[in-house]
Amino acid sequence: MRIIVGEGSCGIAAGAHKVYESLEAAGITPQITGCVGMCFLEPIVDIYSDGGELMRRLVKVKPDDAATIAEAEKTGDLSLLDSITISDEDAAFLSKQTRIALRNCGVIDPTDINAYTANGGYIALRKVLGMTPEEVIEEIKISGLAGRGGAGFPTWFKWNAARQSVSDTKYLICNADEGDPGAFMDRAVIESDPHNLIEGMLIGAYSIGASEAVVYVRAEYPLAIVRLQEAIAQAEKAGYLGKNILGSDFSCKMRIKAGAGAFVCGEETALIESLEGKRGMPRLKPPFPAQRGYNDEPSNINNVETFANVAWIINNGGKAFAAMGTENSKGTKVFALTGKIRRGGLVEVPMGMTIKDIIYDIGGGIRGGRECKAVQLGGPSGGCIPSDKFDTLIDYKELAATGAIMGSGGMVVMDDTTCMVGMAKFFLDFTAKESCGKCVHCRIGTKRLLEILDRITKGNGLQGDIDLLTELCEAVKDGALCGLGQTAPNPVLSTIRYFRDEYEAHINEKRCPTGECADLVTYSIDADKCRGCTLCAKKCPVNAISGSVKTPHVIDSEKCIKCGQCAAVCRFDAVIKR
Amino acid sequence: MCHCKCNENSDLSALDGVLKEYAGVKGSLITILQKAQDIYGYLPTDVMYHIAEAIGTTPAEVIGVATFYTQFRLKPVGKYLIMLCQGTACHVNGSERIETAICEHLGIKDGETTSDGLFTLKNVACLGCCSLSPVMMINGETYGSLTPDSAIGVLENLRKESNA
Amino acid sequence: MEKIKITINSTECIADKGKTILEIAKENGIEIPTLCHHENVKLYGACGICLVEGKNMPKLMRACSTVAADGMELYTDSERVKKVRAVALELLMSDHEGDCRGPCTLNCPAGTDCQGYVKQIAMGNDREAVKIIKDKLPLPASIGRVCPHPCETACRRTKVEEPISIAFLKYFAADRVLADNPYVPEAAPASGKSVAVVGGGPAGLTAAYYLALKGHGVTVYDAMPKMGGMLRYGIPEYRLPKKVLDAEIAEIESVGVKLVNNVKIGKDITLDELRKQNGAVLVAIGAWKNTGLRCKGEDLEGVMGGIDFLRRVALGEKVDIGKNVAVVGGGNTAMDACRTAVRLGAENVYVIYRRTRDEMPAEKIEISEAMEEGVNFKFLTNPAEILGENGKVNAVKLQIMELGESDASGRRSPVPVEGKFETIALDSVICAIGQKVNVAGFEELELNPWGIISSDERYFTTSLEGVFAVGDATNKGASIAIDAIGEANKAANVIDGYLYGLDTPYTAPVLSKREPDETFFEQFEKAERIKMPVRPAEERKHDFKEINLGFEECAARKEAARCLECGCHDYADCKLIRYADRYRIDTCKLAGEKHECFTERKLEIIERDQGKCILCNLCVRICREDAKQGIIGLVGRGFGTVIRPEFNKPETISVCKDCLKCVTACPTGALKLLNLK
Repeated sequence: MRIIVGEGSCGIAAGAHKVYESLEAAGITPQITGCVGMCFLEPIVDIYSDGGELMRRLVKVKPDDAATIAEAEKTGDLSLLDSITISDEDAAFLSKQTRIALRNCGVIDPTDINAYTANGGYIALRKVLGMTPEEVIEEIKISGLAGRGGAGFPTWFKWNAARQSVSDTKYLICNADEGDPGAFMDRAVIESDPHNLIEGMLIGAYSIGASEAVVYVRAEYPLAIVRLQEAIAQAEKAGYLGKNILGSDFSCKMRIKAGAGAFVCGEETALIESLEGKRGMPRLKPPFPAQRGYNDEPSNINNVETFANVAWIINNGGKAFAAMGTENSKGTKVFALTGKIRRGGLVEVPMGMTIKDIIYDIGGGIRGGRECKAVQLGGPSGGCIPSDKFDTLIDYKELAATGAIMGSGGMVVMDDTTCMVGMAKFFLDFTAKESCGKCVHCRIGTKRLLEILDRITKGNGLQGDIDLLTELCEAVKDGALCGLGQTAPNPVLSTIRYFRDEYEAHINEKRCPTGECADLVTYSIDADKCRGCTLCAKKCPVNAISGSVKTPHVIDSEKCIKCGQCAAVCRFDAVIKR
Repeated sequence: MCHCKCNENSDLSALDGVLKEYAGVKGSLITILQKAQDIYGYLPTDVMYHIAEAIGTTPAEVIGVATFYTQFRLKPVGKYLIMLCQGTACHVNGSERIETAICEHLGIKDGETTSDGLFTLKNVACLGCCSLSPVMMINGETYGSLTPDSAIGVLENLRKESNA
Repeated sequence: MEKIKITINSTECIADKGKTILEIAKENGIEIPTLCHHENVKLYGACGICLVEGKNMPKLMRACSTVAADGMELYTDSERVKKVRAVALELLMSDHEGDCRGPCTLNCPAGTDCQGYVKQIAMGNDREAVKIIKDKLPLPASIGRVCPHPCETACRRTKVEEPISIAFLKYFAADRVLADNPYVPEAAPASGKSVAVVGGGPAGLTAAYYLALKGHGVTVYDAMPKMGGMLRYGIPEYRLPKKVLDAEIAEIESVGVKLVNNVKIGKDITLDELRKQNGAVLVAIGAWKNTGLRCKGEDLEGVMGGIDFLRRVALGEKVDIGKNVAVVGGGNTAMDACRTAVRLGAENVYVIYRRTRDEMPAEKIEISEAMEEGVNFKFLTNPAEILGENGKVNAVKLQIMELGESDASGRRSPVPVEGKFETIALDSVICAIGQKVNVAGFEELELNPWGIISSDERYFTTSLEGVFAVGDATNKGASIAIDAIGEANKAANVIDGYLYGLDTPYTAPVLSKREPDETFFEQFEKAERIKMPVRPAEERKHDFKEINLGFEECAARKEAARCLECGCHDYADCKLIRYADRYRIDTCKLAGEKHECFTERKLEIIERDQGKCILCNLCVRICREDAKQGIIGLVGRGFGTVIRPEFNKPETISVCKDCLKCVTACPTGALKLLNLK
């Protein structure tokens, strides 16, 4: 029996490593794996048979459970673990997915190259070295693989453009600066299956003729950086990286560059500036990176998930990949399903699935039995899709038609307590902070959009503000220099499109329909329900609640700072929020 | 020699190894700054001037880079750096209330350090622990599924630990 | 070289392959605006002003960086392009803080560039100063003497100690140029079009002058024997010697204006005839009728209107006012009347005013000079009845007043003190309480409810086609001369357009303004305002010779040098404001948080004004790429980005080689070369 602890970042954050240590203390020699994507069940411990079959998946494991696990291992009586074994319902989270990019995540030990090769790793690289670069690009073309970073540009086209550029030095760059605040697919791939990324990148480097590859990783991903560093060292040692790879003429070295905290560096020309050690301000295009990129040499940039599909495509053929999905969108897509969802985590589904399938069949619907209102796709560059459009297919074109975008994979579910104006404000706050400050439309435009949204949520919205927002949004889309600015207005435009009534309620009636905007809410106590337990009065940070024991209490609205703590502590549902 | 008349007096020799390692390596300014920050805990002005001179660029260039990226700090931080996640999932699940509670409890705002030098609060972009939202990370340790009370509890435990 | 063919706004352009849209447009004389592009540095693409639209191309393109492809059909003026540029400018202006023009210029109804000419006077260039003044007003020597100078009221030097003596400086410079070699610009070639101007006062003369300079045949008709209107017949000789006015009218005549006096409209010639004979008619007839007292006894002999009184004196008539004279009113006309009465030999001259000295609308200096000359001010009194004998005035019964509640204008209104009266013996009463328009001969024009000619505020048009009207005779009625002059200058432009069939309304320029806080003024050393020397009261009150003696040259230069130079040094060359004006943007539409506004002098001879910086980054790029210095750089990111000369360095940066490339490249007035003495 093998005991495997899921040690991805969020598993560790949930206490996986403490579980690991207590297992060791209990006399077990556990192994680790990466993230299987079931974040809502972390920490997860898997028990495999010696033959490699998953016998039990233990969830929400606590260090205290170690003794029981040790006992079960010793006795072979796995029924001891029934109480912490995954339910059939939760197991459906995985069974309804199709995993290509994440195929090894949470399955193999990411720190061990042998685990990767034992699972079919580096076979694709061997195969590719026997093909011409043009043949490889052709295979990618057949697969229909498109950039998974958000824009959805055909991968073969970029590779081919870089291939065609004549130069002695070319660079292959992996964009792992996953910045969408609500997406963590790329981190999971690097942490859980770093060799898959390395292999995909090597195939790309071979195709375009690059002898140097760089992975630009977010600084906020320390574990990913460590695992990738280890993996690169192992790959070098095993001859997959470096001079004359696997005895061929192909040589390629690889290094990591840690970002330093700037969302705009997800924009490829800003990423290049940053790689060169400069402020991450986007460059004008043209020239495109394929013509003149990093160090003014032809460069090709793809995102982690894109590369994570490449080895599979080579192994299984472009046709197999293209067989999945829709006419416009092939293969699978990974989403980070979060927000007010029951089962949140990483989800990889074939293109062409509906949003409803993902939210309800995989995610198990809304947490707390509330009503689903909308889902935000593509983070600050994307838009929301209201629940009545949940039949929309996961397809670049179909999603774009709704005003949202496929994006890099952030999928945030919102219920009826989420204020959509507040949501737009949240994203604009993000883009305004992350704007590099170079072009006027983005630097000042996002700031002004944020200010207008802010005044609306504070009850100071003016007549005409919706039109002003729309006008400003259109100009920012048209005028901004890079993708960050050009897409920054999307969350505003799409919430206006689908939830105009919420904007109007804020502006005309000075009312937030969801009660989320603190400035527009008043708290009061229902005298019929209040038992005078004094809990709220004790909790109130500003002493705004008065009343004696066993008599109904009263909130002084002048003093109230609308923190909502009274409502949170009341056991009788007596605090009314309006 | 530092040309600026700043009050700092950093031990510049601590950086020698880093500067040697990256001597002549094009485009390594960000990496050097990261390593300098590891050494000094932040980026003192005299260190930035020193780096500019060592790698043959202008202070304006170095400072431009140092102030562009959120990772770099121009002031010393507290013993505990509270990185409060401001990602979408954390936002949807109430990170704003956590921030209010922490600010109120410590009497500091985002980017500030408590007068006893114990805590620095920093709002950060998504930490990628969305399913544990709302989340904060303090000196590498992640604390998830926070409530205002539990967040303050964490801080108080750290304070006790530090006093012990 | 391979050639390509593209069209820009339907103009076909042949160009070398590889050129950018911006370059090709320039070669073909098509201006594409840009704020951040500069030939000496690498492409940058930040401002978003040079965006153009291409047919069948979904995205707009930055003209500065987009290499033209054969067959492109480009538009630099489509609605989408105009919109995106306008928003960029609105955004920039929302974070741009500076004074395009000084408060003096903004408060001058004629928009005279006060700061500009004061500076020239300080530097000793009087002729240059007069050139600047005459761009807006053709009678500087006259107006410099009599203008109540709203410019000085607005002058920020007041916050240091006292305003600059702007009006008298104007008269100083104008007198010197007039005496030396009068400045008269050359008129444009004859247009063959003609304009009739009715009324030879400041408004009529001003409009005539500017229309004549534009090449039109202009005839001024006036009912009085000589030109000058109220300047001649309303302002006494001791304030404005008529030889000064004559000389300035002669200059106006010298640019080709025909002056015809003693013509009454409706009598000697009709408005209709003027319309038929001319391409346009401008009515600038002023307000020459006195407002009556509306109290008992006002038709007694010895009661006269202030305007009538001054006119008769100016015409040289002998006006019998006796020894005891009362002037009713508190405005400048009342002051002119009482001081004229003193000069005519009256022994007891009273000014009857129903409020107190503080509320008097007359110029402060006029009041104190009248007091020096022995005028007796009866504040808080109001004529209740003019008493007489044999149909002739012998006294006035005054109601004693007190100040009550504040009225809508904020002034406390006078209320009678029940039963309190005072009677003074008099020989004559001069009523200077207001003026009305005499519309005889212009009955066809539509009047407003107050009986004043209605004129459009932007077009100056009346109800009759081709008939325009300005000045005291229109809209709000009588005001100060510079008001009428301002309208006349604007009307001249409108009429010029009208003559060519163009629609050219007056539009106020788009401007940026700021209000410095009190601490700003602490940096200036106090320097007292230089007083205009005047003849002693005892001497001057016996004659009509000019009371002002004029500035000595060194005094004038010193006074002019006190100017704080509030208006932007770069206004004439500022690309930002030029584009903002071209796209007629609303500078407040996207108002929001601004950058902190301050100036710094870290680059030794260059002053940097953060409020005016638009972050085009040209100074940084020029310094790095062209000057090879890299002294300045960007700090921070996003909206908070600023340009800093190095970091936190307290001292000035001596490595700056003062090549001034950054100053020259700056598209706004954010960088300024200091005049270090």
